[in-house]
Amino acid sequence: MKVKVDFDRCQSNGLCEAIAPATFELDDDDYLQILDDEVTEQNREAIERAVASCPTSAISIVED
Amino acid sequence: MAHTPHFDLSDPAFDVTSDVVHAARDQQWYVETNWGWAVLRYAEANAILKDRRFRQGNARWPEQNGIHSGMFSDWWAEVLLSIEGDDHARIRRLLMPAFRNKAIAAMRPRFQALADELIDGFVERGEVEFVSEFAEPYASRIICVLLGLPEEDWPQVAHWADDLGRSFGISVAADLPRIEAALDGLHRHLDAVVTDRQATPRDDLVTTLLQAQETDGTLTRHELGVALVFLAFAGMETTRNQLGLALQTLLSHPDQWRLLGERPDLGGQAVEEIMRVNPTVTWITREAVEDVDLHGLHIPAGGIVQVLSHAAGTDPAAMPDPGFDITAVRPPHLGFGSGVHHCLGHFVARTDMAVALPLLARRMPDARADGPGEWLPVSGNTGPVRYPIRFTPGPRSGG
Ligand code: HEM
Ligand code: SF4
Repeated sequence: MKVKVDFDRCQSNGLCEAIAPATFELDDDDYLQILDDEVTEQNREAIERAVASCPTSAISIVED
Repeated sequence: MAHTPHFDLSDPAFDVTSDVVHAARDQQWYVETNWGWAVLRYAEANAILKDRRFRQGNARWPEQNGIHSGMFSDWWAEVLLSIEGDDHARIRRLLMPAFRNKAIAAMRPRFQALADELIDGFVERGEVEFVSEFAEPYASRIICVLLGLPEEDWPQVAHWADDLGRSFGISVAADLPRIEAALDGLHRHLDAVVTDRQATPRDDLVTTLLQAQETDGTLTRHELGVALVFLAFAGMETTRNQLGLALQTLLSHPDQWRLLGERPDLGGQAVEEIMRVNPTVTWITREAVEDVDLHGLHIPAGGIVQVLSHAAGTDPAAMPDPGFDITAVRPPHLGFGSGVHHCLGHFVARTDMAVALPLLARRMPDARADGPGEWLPVSGNTGPVRYPIRFTPGPRSGG
């Protein structure tokens, strides 16, 4: 499973970064970068919470 | 035939947290009101706030109250909440850097020092009028810091923000002269800061926005003025009211209040749990931009929908165990709205409240209400006007 962000929807508000900082990071120009798109046992909960918290529904978890 | 209820949201006696609302939620996901349809269940509320077939629904507020021209309606037409599409995205993007989590997290020590200072001011008395002695100066001084205003201006800024807040009251037309005077005062005050930062740049929000204006010319001085006044309006009353509501909820759960005093690390989660059950913005408004059919409800273009944040946050279908518990992790609450208009200042509000509440809990360990106080109607933007509290003073720092 992998994390996917729809950048047409992403508003760079950084909620996902605050919830799952190992996966999401806003760069210095406020563009969202995915640091690691792998969904694992360890990070699944945080990533699912980021998916639910994204105000513009820009994040999804997809099959490899 | 089952009786379908009809709510009057602007009746001062109507309470968005009452049993009639919960009973209506058991029957249907929406209910008709004097102000459009109210959405009562979490799943539908969450979906509608994010649905691009709706725009933020407060844009036509002045017009709906018979105000068609003048300073207030001109300003309101241009604020972030009222605009959509490319202009909205452009201005939000320009403001965003100042509201990033990292920028706000760096202000934590400042929030803490401010909270300590305010608490020191009353704690020995063992009693406090929470709104005027804590919630209002705390919220207002933080806005001053953010906007680069001298902190000692806070009473004036609070006063203006309060008068501007009347634009969301039922008597907005009658209050118009006060509202416009506040708007004018804030405009002039903030314009002086802009002029100052043009001459002497600092490491602050106004300087950053001025630089954005110079480097890519994407923000006019006029737009900058509109945005700064709106930030004062959007950030002051909301935070003040939400802090008062936070105390109301926590003091009715003394075990949770005690726990928060012992475990300041729970501050962040406590804020989430409080805003789920006791949000200050009790309706978040949307207007359909096209005809929308949703689960059996036809909403014509121009139709107004109110998302009732408390009803959604306590919906048993989404929160199987809806009791108040600051250690529980829940689906995200809707107290900051959602979609493209999701509150720009949420990291500010989340952080400043997460810092303040545990400090208050530690230093007022057995706090309880001292009389009924005075409260706004539990509809629209709600909270205490006066909230006297009594307590035995606790220690300033742990150990
Ligand atoms: C507890 C305190 C606060 C609450 C409950 C709150 C709540 C809200 C809500 C419900 C919205 C509308 C969202 C929607 O329609 O989906 C909003 C928008 C907004 N808030 Fe807040 N807010 C708070 C604090 C702040 C602070 C401290 C600031 C800034 C200093 C701020 C700035 C804004 C702005 C600029 C918008 C408009 C965003 C847009 O239209 O794109 N808010 N807020
Ligand atoms: S939470 Fe959503 S909108 Fe915000 S930065 Fe992450 S993906 Fe983008």
